[in-house]
Amino acid sequence: MARAIIDPVTRIEGHLRVECEVENGVITDAWSSGSLYRGMETVLKGRAPADAYYVSQRICGVCPISHGHASTKATEDALKVTPPDGARLVRNIIEGAETLHSHILWFYTLTALDYVDVVSALSANIADTYALAEKAGTAVADFGAIQKRLKTFVEGGQLSIFTNGYWGHPAMKLPAELNLIAVAHYLQALEIQAEAAAIIAVMGGKFPHFMTSIPGGTAWMPTEEKLDDVLFRWKTVSEFITNALIPDTLAIAPFYIEAATYGGGVKNFLSWGVFEDKSLDPLKRVMPRGAILDGKLELVQPDVAKIKEYVEHSWYSSPSGLNPAQGQTQAKFTSYDTNAQYSWIKAPRLDEKPMEAGPLSRMLVSYLAGVPEVKDLVDTTLTALGVAGKPEVLISLLGRLAARNLEAKFVADKMGEWIMELIGAVKGGDAKFFTEPTETNGQGAGLWEAPRGALGHFIDVKDGKIANYQVVSPSTWDCSPRDAAGVRGPLEEALVGTPIADIEKPLEALRIVHSFDP
Amino acid sequence: MAQGVRDGIYDLLAARGVSRRDFVKYCGSVAALLGLSEMYAPQIVSAVEAGAKLKPTVWLDMGLCTGCTESLAQVDTPDVASIVLDLLSVNYMETIMAAAGTQAEEARTKTIADGGYVLVVEGAIMTGEGGNTLRIAGKTGLEILKEAAGKADAIICVGSCAVDGGWVNAAPNPAGGKGVLDVMPELKAKTINLPTCPVNPEWIVAMVVDVLLLGKLPAMDDKNRPTLIFGSTIHDNCPRRGHFENGEFVEAFGTEAEVKQWCLYKMGCKGPQTMTNCPSVRWNRRASWCVESGSPCIGCGHVYTNWVDASAPFLSRMTDVNLPGLGGVRPETVGTVVGAAAAAGLLVHGIASAATGRTSGPPMETEKAWDKKHKASKGGDN
Repeated sequence: MARAIIDPVTRIEGHLRVECEVENGVITDAWSSGSLYRGMETVLKGRAPADAYYVSQRICGVCPISHGHASTKATEDALKVTPPDGARLVRNIIEGAETLHSHILWFYTLTALDYVDVVSALSANIADTYALAEKAGTAVADFGAIQKRLKTFVEGGQLSIFTNGYWGHPAMKLPAELNLIAVAHYLQALEIQAEAAAIIAVMGGKFPHFMTSIPGGTAWMPTEEKLDDVLFRWKTVSEFITNALIPDTLAIAPFYIEAATYGGGVKNFLSWGVFEDKSLDPLKRVMPRGAILDGKLELVQPDVAKIKEYVEHSWYSSPSGLNPAQGQTQAKFTSYDTNAQYSWIKAPRLDEKPMEAGPLSRMLVSYLAGVPEVKDLVDTTLTALGVAGKPEVLISLLGRLAARNLEAKFVADKMGEWIMELIGAVKGGDAKFFTEPTETNGQGAGLWEAPRGALGHFIDVKDGKIANYQVVSPSTWDCSPRDAAGVRGPLEEALVGTPIADIEKPLEALRIVHSFDP
Repeated sequence: MAQGVRDGIYDLLAARGVSRRDFVKYCGSVAALLGLSEMYAPQIVSAVEAGAKLKPTVWLDMGLCTGCTESLAQVDTPDVASIVLDLLSVNYMETIMAAAGTQAEEARTKTIADGGYVLVVEGAIMTGEGGNTLRIAGKTGLEILKEAAGKADAIICVGSCAVDGGWVNAAPNPAGGKGVLDVMPELKAKTINLPTCPVNPEWIVAMVVDVLLLGKLPAMDDKNRPTLIFGSTIHDNCPRRGHFENGEFVEAFGTEAEVKQWCLYKMGCKGPQTMTNCPSVRWNRRASWCVESGSPCIGCGHVYTNWVDASAPFLSRMTDVNLPGLGGVRPETVGTVVGAAAAAGLLVHGIASAATGRTSGPPMETEKAWDKKHKASKGGDN
């Protein structure tokens, strides 16, 4: 028996340590440790509610839009104000742009280097690379020039961000030509993610950290010029998803098909739902609210009152088992000990169960809720991978990866509809974008989704000031340590059963971590 | 410079898909960014030519949200791939490096041992709970910073958190977030502070050129901010400034005044007391910036206390704020000065305001003084 330790886990947002017990080449136990505490919830106390919108989004520089929206929704819930329909569309488009930005960045920049051997791309035959791209239906690039650029780079001896990568690792399976295609799209994706972020900048001032989705609506007023800007940027991003992200996913997946047999984790899934429809009813969101328990593909409704956050294995002295609406956060570091306390992350449980959050949860919930475009995307993909009619296959490492990219396609298409709807509303001339909140007391929750999963902001406003503020973020769900009953969190559970070829270079464990996009 | 070396560099650039023409153009845009005349472009060209070896770089993630790394990915010119592959050898940068765990640690310790690198720090230095509010590979964040700081040629603190703790430092600062120079003041001589939340990526590029290629630190103020970037207020260069002069203010969100891009001063805009060049450099490849989107500036570039405590509540006009330093003098916390200064400004321009939160002054005029004065005269299409 031996321990494989990854600290720091790189290519994520924030700080994480993962420790795995490995026996006969397979992980038998695992511990996930969040290694940073900043104290946002405490910082917000005593401040004006709208300030929470501006500050709380700074929890995450990759998904500030979702935190901003969850915060604003919590405040609107507390102060009983309904944003006008124009603001709903503006927020959906901004949220959608962040999702596309985040998913593209995740696949190519953060995750691909676990599967794509950059050095192997040097030995690709250029003619074969074009033939393969043609066959896979994926975007072509100047593969020869890219290979030459790579060659110069490698021969220069300064590998920069590729220093000490997992090149030549036995778990790397792609042919050289596919590696070269992926490297070409890795470079192109850097451009495209910036284009998606620029949509947010046009509508929200800048990205990361945006300025306009304040409680009551939006400060951004659409004009023809700005809408035109948004529309054409969206078109560029959307085309990349259709012509590169999706075909790349389908081309790479068959080489890692064994990843469909492990990594499923706790098999409980939570989605608060995201992207509002006209009714503002969470059950009717474009990706609706719902939960799945014990791997049984049936939809149940999650009850927010049944969330408890445990801290037996976390560095907090505040009481364990509180609902976030009454939550407390008092830091108390002891020592790092996997048998006692080992994380700055609390352990949230829904009805005592650890819940996986993220695109796999949203896609499964949307699939079961009968969202037609999601059903179509999932069924087509299952057929393409030779497992038609078996959505349960998605509950695996491979399924978690595929779900995120399929979701990107779904959201890109929906964004096109929202942009056209907003253009129509502006053309009509009577669109409204802001309603001033007037109440100064109330409690509220903003239950929403970040690209990486279920997100809740909880606010208590007394006399116009924040009396209490709590956040349960997706990585709190996914990367949580054990709870009071010793039950592992979703990432910990997903690591168990993962094969490890080289304990000094536990690349396969890294793949599991990155599949959650923490 | 020997012709051979020069040719070698252009071969290198050409192999990386950069033509000589593009390269010279790029150096021109860098010169503009640095506030230099385009005449300096040839000097930048030769400075780049001299640096055939990529400069090793260590980018430390401290108490961060990763927003400044994200922001770097939104840079305009040169693109991010060129920065991390062709300008610098970024041997350690947690968010984008291929290696993890032991392999990542090796890359960092080797780069530090070899020396001669640039250190970039993102995020607050965490001092709470004995420094354990940030732990990396069994060490505290502060220990990692200390290991890396000594042998660095220069240190660039990106974003408000690395500069002064940023929002993490906001009262009651429960996790003990502080700026690099707060915990290691001895680094002052080689540190550049780039506040705002997140950092503007164009400034990072400008500093990279300053430090690596021109071989010196830029002119800086008492808070180690480059004066070319942080030398004047947002208000001074705001495209909405004309509306301020005319007394045309947004009085509520979602109104026609917002469509017309009138002044956000009454909505709480911190532009008059925030010193950055956001209005000219803009954000996200110059797509827009905060005030253009319709939100008041929230003053995220403040450095004399963390920007949250200095600027919140963001949607209220302040009568008690820290004014930015004038002529490098440490500012005082002044209650009346901002009110008086603002009132003076308004009076000078022949208008007054009935804005809530203002301490004094006559009510807003229904008709602008300029219009009244010029009513009789012909002009425009008349």
